[in-house]
Amino acid sequence: MGIGSDLMQGFGLADPVIRLGVTGLSRAGKTVFITSLVANLMDRGRMHALRAAADGSLKAAWLQPQPDDTVPRFDYERYLATLTGPDAHWPDGTRHVSQLRLSLRVERQGLLSGLRGPQTVHLDIVDYPGEWLLDLRLMEKDFSEWSAEVLDRMQNRPGAEAFMSAVAAQGSNPGFDEPTAQTLAETYTAHLHAAREAGWSDCTPGRFLIPGEMAGSPALTFAPLPADLSGSRLYKEFRRRFDAYKSRVVKPFFREHFAKIDRQIVLVDALGAIHQGPQAVEDMRRAMADILTAFRPGRAGWLGQLLGTRRVERILFAATKADHLNHVQHNRLTAIVSAMLREARDRADFSGARTEAMSIAALRATTEDVIHKDGEDLPAVRGRLADGRVAALYPGELPADPAELLHPARSGAEKWLNGDYSIMNFEPAPMTLRAGEGPPHIRLDRAAEFLIGDRL
Amino acid sequence: MEMVTRLVGRPPSALTRFFINSGVALLTFLLSIAALDYINRLLDSYPVLGWIAVTLFAMFTLAALGMALREYRAWSRFAKIDAIQRQAGAALEEANLDKARHVTDQLLSLYHRRPELEWNRKRLSDNRGDAFDAQTLLTMAETELLASLDREARREIEAASRTVAAATALIPLALADVAAALAANLRMIRRMAEIYGGRAGAVGGWRLARTVMTHLVATGAVAAGDDLIHTVAGGGVLAKVSRRFGEGVVNGALTARVGIAAMEVCRPLPFIAQPRPKVGNLVTRGLRGLFGESDKG
Repeated sequence: MGIGSDLMQGFGLADPVIRLGVTGLSRAGKTVFITSLVANLMDRGRMHALRAAADGSLKAAWLQPQPDDTVPRFDYERYLATLTGPDAHWPDGTRHVSQLRLSLRVERQGLLSGLRGPQTVHLDIVDYPGEWLLDLRLMEKDFSEWSAEVLDRMQNRPGAEAFMSAVAAQGSNPGFDEPTAQTLAETYTAHLHAAREAGWSDCTPGRFLIPGEMAGSPALTFAPLPADLSGSRLYKEFRRRFDAYKSRVVKPFFREHFAKIDRQIVLVDALGAIHQGPQAVEDMRRAMADILTAFRPGRAGWLGQLLGTRRVERILFAATKADHLNHVQHNRLTAIVSAMLREARDRADFSGARTEAMSIAALRATTEDVIHKDGEDLPAVRGRLADGRVAALYPGELPADPAELLHPARSGAEKWLNGDYSIMNFEPAPMTLRAGEGPPHIRLDRAAEFLIGDRL
Repeated sequence: MEMVTRLVGRPPSALTRFFINSGVALLTFLLSIAALDYINRLLDSYPVLGWIAVTLFAMFTLAALGMALREYRAWSRFAKIDAIQRQAGAALEEANLDKARHVTDQLLSLYHRRPELEWNRKRLSDNRGDAFDAQTLLTMAETELLASLDREARREIEAASRTVAAATALIPLALADVAAALAANLRMIRRMAEIYGGRAGAVGGWRLARTVMTHLVATGAVAAGDDLIHTVAGGGVLAKVSRRFGEGVVNGALTARVGIAAMEVCRPLPFIAQPRPKVGNLVTRGLRGLFGESDKG
């Protein structure tokens, strides 16, 4: 994992490694995506659009022990059993970092490549809690900026009053003591949890929600403070802890797991945000736009410097949970996601990376159906709900022009003007997989072709 | 070979068409009158023979009708393939899944009586639900249904180009080799249609050949294109040894071109993921064995 191995690969002495960065907020479906991708690469019966799988150049796939000795292995078997077993359900949220390496045996078709014989390509993927990704936004901010922003955003979110009154109770020139700091951090964390429950995406710092092994350490015991306290000892100590959080927690995490990614997939649960309303859409748009600046492929940002010469060559913007829509609406969902991530995509395109947007479902939980209602035929999907009932869902017609959603979101509307969009949470369908077939999906094969197809 | 393409591919002028059509109409008219007159007189003088003539005439008319019906059905199958081809193009262009599903349905019904494709049909029917893009679905249909037909078509082209090369090289008569080349090409084009489900009759076959040649002329492929350059150069070297053998190689290559054009015309889908055959490969494989080198296959 150093310059040495990079050089070896560069000269063709070591097997090529593709590092796939799976980026997405919490509940965007990272774990399911990774599980289904691995399962479908191991059993390639459903990967019709992955050229290497269709023409047989992909001979075999093997799940290796990952190269990094200190990171837990991605618990692929357990997740796959959770998703495809008799009482299938979605896995719980990820609480720690894990990693896996899938080795692919490739024998290219054609004369020249045929001479070279079979080749091994490693695919490295990291899974992590989506909450931690938001910390990327902190890297370019200092404590006062971050505090101002957070306090401003907090206004109409749940749990804000409790925290505000706790801050107000500190008076105008609070001193520092650990119990006070702990109380403030706890009320702030409670607010973050409540806000996340209510559907807000940008809850920073992410480790407050999922602390991992650092729970209770000073780096995780601070809270935003208003600027008029900036002279106080409390403020100074919190500022120090905020900086420590950035340099000791956030930076190592991204240096270890996101430096050197070559391919990136950005998973966005756009349907979920649309369901929750304009504010959630705007919130998600802002969060994703901020996060993606860290991966700016053209500029050597702080992450870029760590990346060295390596660049993210291909970025796929994927709207997840496409199985909650009938296929006739997939194009519109794709259009909405590309409009949401327009800035990031333009930047990537401009810097020479290849980008694409598509609607995918890593695990298809529904079948397509038509609902007859008031003499109209509505293109719908049918799936199984958590309580075991089977329901058909028509989530409403997404607008052909994404601006119809994004504009009200940007101008701060409370509700959608025309119509409501409702989605249900379908559970994975119980399935029996035929030999050689991975779990069913929507366009996972095309996503794989775009992300890694050229290296196979 | 150039003569063959000229013979078949020449678009007749309006005047020529009018001349031929009116001539044929006149001839048919005169023949019918003569036949009617003849049978009438026969009925007068020898009633028994007259009735025999009437019966034979009726049988011939029936047979002619049957032939016409067969031609018509062959023609409508062509029209169907043509329609599938157009719809597939549109579905790919618009990335329209519903249209692609319709095309797949039509493909399945087109090939539903081919026993050798039964397994592929079943696999396609099982897997088509996995595809949510026009491109993916049509690629799947192409791989399942057309890949094996493509191989068959390729063998057919190789055989034809071998025949033409051999005929040019070995038949000493000046026009006989042209006739042999023409026959081999027409046969190959008809086989293409049969392989992809067209089953051309006599008239249909001729018109199909015309379509293929027009396609060739339109794509400017009759002249030695860049993919022919090796063959022509190789043929040139061979021509130092024997002029007729050199011509044979070039004519074989041109036949392969015609075959590829025929493939493109008769194939119900455009080439999406399957490789389009190349003249060089076809000629190399087709002529192997004809000029010494044994088939290592």
